[in-house]
Order: sequence, then structure tokens, then C-alpha cells
Amino acid sequence: MLEALWNNVDYIASVVLFCIGLYIIIAKNNLIKKFLGLNIMETAVFSFIIALGVIDGGDAPIMGAGAQAPFSSPVPQALVLTGIVVAVSTTALALSLIIRIYRQCGTIEADELREME
Amino acid sequence: MKKAFVAALLIVTAIPLLIGVVALPPHGDPDTPVHTHISARYLEEGREEAGADNIVTGVLLNYRGLDTAGEVTVIFTALMAGLAVLISHKKQPEGDATYDAAEAAAEDAPVRAPVSPVVSFVVRLLAPFIALFAVYVIVNGHVTPGGGFQGGAILGALFIALTIVLGRERTRTLMPRLAQPWMQGAALLTFVGVGIVGGALTGHFLGYPAQASLHLARELMMLVLEAGIGLGGAAVFATLFLQMEAE
Amino acid sequence: MSVVFDIMLLVFLIVTALAVARAKDLLGAAILFSSYSLMMCLLWQHRGAPDVAMTEAAVGAGITTVLFLVAIGRTTRREK
Repeated sequence: MLEALWNNVDYIASVVLFCIGLYIIIAKNNLIKKFLGLNIMETAVFSFIIALGVIDGGDAPIMGAGAQAPFSSPVPQALVLTGIVVAVSTTALALSLIIRIYRQCGTIEADELREME
Repeated sequence: MKKAFVAALLIVTAIPLLIGVVALPPHGDPDTPVHTHISARYLEEGREEAGADNIVTGVLLNYRGLDTAGEVTVIFTALMAGLAVLISHKKQPEGDATYDAAEAAAEDAPVRAPVSPVVSFVVRLLAPFIALFAVYVIVNGHVTPGGGFQGGAILGALFIALTIVLGRERTRTLMPRLAQPWMQGAALLTFVGVGIVGGALTGHFLGYPAQASLHLARELMMLVLEAGIGLGGAAVFATLFLQMEAE
Repeated sequence: MSVVFDIMLLVFLIVTALAVARAKDLLGAAILFSSYSLMMCLLWQHRGAPDVAMTEAAVGAGITTVLFLVAIGRTTRREK
């Protein structure tokens, strides 16, 4: 059991980070704080996917002079690269919405916004 | 009450995740499906098939080119949505009660400090080198780590830094009004253009010619794609910043 | 040696994430998030993913943080 835990310490760190992000999203009231939490959750998932593609003693998947097998898997890396850029565009859209909400309502606390209706 | 609920929810989420994660094959094991299925083939033949030393770039632009086209569409759509959300604000009536509340609360907002001379000097000193590095990252993306997205993000960050230091009047010339829509849509447009060229050469949308005689055409297509993604990404990030920062 | 470096990075990541959760000052939280992204970038570089590390350094630690800072400047700095 402990041996399995130690081997998969990367995955466990990802789970812990994911839970911290989830905690920020549920427990915090401020909308900007919630999106910081969402970003932490996203990076936790990316780090999990990257850890899946790692190979023992592996090199970066870049061929060329001096490169030698084994290489880490390129597919998870391409997947995560796409994910990071999509994550930043969703964050930008969310922050635009938050600025608009603040201009309209004068607050970005979720409970105060709920009371306003 | 709320705290107990949050703790319960976190435990309910964490325990299945941990159980699943511990049951995974050990970290770095070369015999897992991640390494034995499609990756093995990409690593073996990717260099000849996709024409890129950097296999990640090969996967992004060649094997999974349509995915990347979709991603570029997502970025462009997010930009359009962000612009729509922020622009329609301008017609706010002056005497509106909620608007006064916003103004009163704005007094808590941090006061804008003048840019320190050190920051200003360093940014102006480094700007040409950062621009050169961004172009290197974009153009060399198929040989070394990097590519359109990274270079585009560096260019966008450089534009943002310059705007903070020099003011938006001076950086406006970098993105003229007439060229703006073309720059923001550059990534999407190059994907469509290169896709059609690839279609003419191979019969598949976004196909790359495999013959050795068309080797240069393939390299050129990848280079154009990278440049388009870089320019488009930089323009999208810069526009989002300018729009959010505007009064 | 490499294991020690890994553990240090992972511990630092978890500590910064917790600090983001604890911080009352949103500006501070955004800057902590930037350092979290930078550590994540180091971890990925160490895991043999230089492309992803580069993207995270430019996008996660750079652009995302700037956008958060702008949003905080346009709204409030204090969390109630």
C-alpha cells in the first residue's frame, strides 16, 4: 500500500491540488477567488495527464542529434498544450463577465449578488 | 453547517479519486497503454511522416491538425464573447442607482501608481530581444520546444508590457485599426487557407503531401500555420487585455 | 537528488495552492497563483515536457496573471 502510494506520488499531488481548487470554488464567496480556484483545478488535471505520459529515464519527445530512446509520450503533451490555451481563453471570458457584473451591481461577492435579485 | 457540507463533499470527491489513482500502474512504467499504443508509432515514424523533429508539434499540426483548428476557433470565439460583454456597457445612464453603488465601491480599488523608471527602462531595453525570441520560438517550433502558441503568448505579453510602460497611444501603431480584425482572426484564416491548399495537394482537408518531392511544400505549410497561430494568439491576448483595461 | 527536487516542487505547489485559498487580499492571491504556475512549469520541464512547460510559463504565469490583475484593478482588491 505504502509502496503504491510512493510510486504514484505525482498522481496523489494532483488529486490534492484538485481538491484544494474544488474547496476554493465551493467555499469562497468572491468570484475572482473562485476563478483562481478553477485555474488551480485545471493545472492539477494537466499535471495528472503529463504525469501519465512520463516514462522512467525518458527524454523529451524531440528527435534530432543526440536524442535517444526512451521518450515520454507526445500525445498527452499535445493534449495539455491545447488545454492550457483553451483554459486561458475561458478565464479571460469569465473575467470580462466579472468586470461587467461589478459595473452593473457594484459587488462580486456571490451571496450579495444572490440577495439582489 | 456550510463547513460540514464542504468537508463532506471534499471527502466524497477525494476518496474515489485517491483509490483510482493508487490502482493505476506505477508512475513511469514503459508497458502502460499510454506508451504502447499510438505513441509508439508517432515516436517511430513521426519524424518522417509529419516532417517535424519535435514530435509534439507534429502531433499538434499534422496528426491532430483538426483538433488544433477547433482550439483556435475556441480562442477566437472567447475573444468575440469577451468583446461583446465589455463593449455593450458604454451606454450606462448616469443617474442609475446601481451605477452609483459601483462608483462608491470603486474607491476601494487599488490606485494606479506611476510606472517606476526601473521597470520602464528594463522593459524598453529588453523589448527587442523578447520580440526576437518570440519569432525564434515560432519559426523554430518544429525543431526545438516551442511553436505558435508559445511564441504568440510571448508576443502578446510583450505587447501588454509595452502598453503598461509606454501608454496605449504609443503601442496603438503596432496594431492599426484596419488590420485588427485580420490579426485577431489570423490563426483561423491560416488554418482554413492551409487546409484548402492541403486539400488541393492531397484530396483531404488539412492533408500534408507525403511525397519526398513535395518536402519543401510541407515545411512551408507548417511554417505558415505556426506563424498564423502566433500572430493570431498574440493579437487575441493583446485585444483582451486592452478591452478589459479600458475605462 | 532528483527525487528531493521533485518532492520540494510538489510541497511548494501544495503550499502555494493553500496560500491562495487562505489569502484575503486578492492581489496577493493572484501573485501567489503566478508563482504556483511557475513551479508547475518547472515540474513539467523536469517531467520531460518542455513544450508544455514553455506554454505554462508564457500563458499561465504571464497572460493569466496579467488578466487577473487587470480584473482586480477594475473591481475590488479586498475579499469580504
